[in-house]
Amino acid sequence: MSQQPQPSGLDGLTELQALAMDHALGGGSRAERKAAELRLLSDPQFRAAVERWQTLLAPLDDVTPGVAPPPSVWAAIAAEVEPQPRRAAALPAVAGGWWNNLGLWRGLAFAGPVLTAVAITVLVQGTWFPGASAAVSGGPALVATLADADGKPLIAAAFDPASGEVRFAPVAASDQATGGTVPELWVIEGKNPPRSLGVIDIAVGRSQTIPRDRLAGLKPGAILAISIEPTGGSPTGAPTGPVIATGKLSAA
Amino acid sequence: MSRPNQPFTTGSTELAALLVRVADDDAAAFQAFYDRTSAKLFGVILRILIERQESEDVLQEVYLIVWRKAATFDASKASPITWAATIARNRAIDRLRARPPRAHVPMEAAVDLADGGPAQDAGLIHDQDARRIAAALATLEPRHAAAIRACYFDGVTYDELAAREQVPVGTLKSWVRRGLIRLRDLLEGSQA
Repeated sequence: MSQQPQPSGLDGLTELQALAMDHALGGGSRAERKAAELRLLSDPQFRAAVERWQTLLAPLDDVTPGVAPPPSVWAAIAAEVEPQPRRAAALPAVAGGWWNNLGLWRGLAFAGPVLTAVAITVLVQGTWFPGASAAVSGGPALVATLADADGKPLIAAAFDPASGEVRFAPVAASDQATGGTVPELWVIEGKNPPRSLGVIDIAVGRSQTIPRDRLAGLKPGAILAISIEPTGGSPTGAPTGPVIATGKLSAA
Repeated sequence: MSRPNQPFTTGSTELAALLVRVADDDAAAFQAFYDRTSAKLFGVILRILIERQESEDVLQEVYLIVWRKAATFDASKASPITWAATIARNRAIDRLRARPPRAHVPMEAAVDLADGGPAQDAGLIHDQDARRIAAALATLEPRHAAAIRACYFDGVTYDELAAREQVPVGTLKSWVRRGLIRLRDLLEGSQA
């Protein structure tokens, strides 16, 4: 019998090298690509390997003929980008707190990613738990918009250092959480592997209190990620299921 | 050792400067960046997705990502056009993967591995790096080179390619990975 290559096709490469090639070339399945995208966030060596292959392959694009897109494409992009009065936006007056305004979140669901990120930032700047200033609470409020692999925002998250709460609001529905599974929140700080912040409930407007020791040192720039795990959370301490959303924390 | 294939041309410098302004929410800079790069990115996306409306949707999505992520562009890692084209290719491939199986481009429209040799592209290549990688690809075993091209240009999966070529997926991956290693050795070996 002839000896076939191993099913993995590693050919003496490390797994990291092989998967980095696969991701840069793009031949993987949907699930493989999602797994690689999470790894890109948490594994700088992997990211460097992928970037190296992307750079090596990039000159191939030169043979692909350019095609001018129709003007309607720029018009649609500009409509998402230009009319947003960024930063100086007036704050909507929302009785009972902006967070509990479901209409606001539903509205965001139909807005583009840019609008969503901008709107959340502006709102948090203006009305983050009135009365509790960031200086008193020992750190800035942090916000993140968690988007799926296509860049579509799924969930907005905000962390209030004063109360130690993380709040979530779904921006769009995800079909990936089904029976027997739960979403689990992870934080990826710098070069460290993902650290679990626990199983979460992402129903509209729910807040989630996360033990303070887990939140210690949470800073702008850290990545939040949500994976789908068996009930009770990841059995291994690392994400095992598909990652449905990721987003970077920034100071509110 | 210097990194290979970093086209830090004047054009790259200008595009990088535009991205810095885009990161600062400069809509005019964003439009200038779009004007200079959108035809290339649309070409990359269209080649993968074929279907025009879907390609326009992805192009729009890609530029919204560029707008949002301009601050993360790192000129020490990639040229602006490589950075943006990589986003475009990844989004197009992800969109392709998300299609229901029925909606895939018919087989006859897909690139056959027997075709698509490098010669057909030679006349279109102006950039020196592009000529070098085309020359390097031409030295590979033709089926290995064709598999690499099908993945990169058309977004075909290893599984689909293996089925077409009637080889186990492991074999197909071996072809591709060996081909890529050889490409890298050729390109980096020829750097002075």
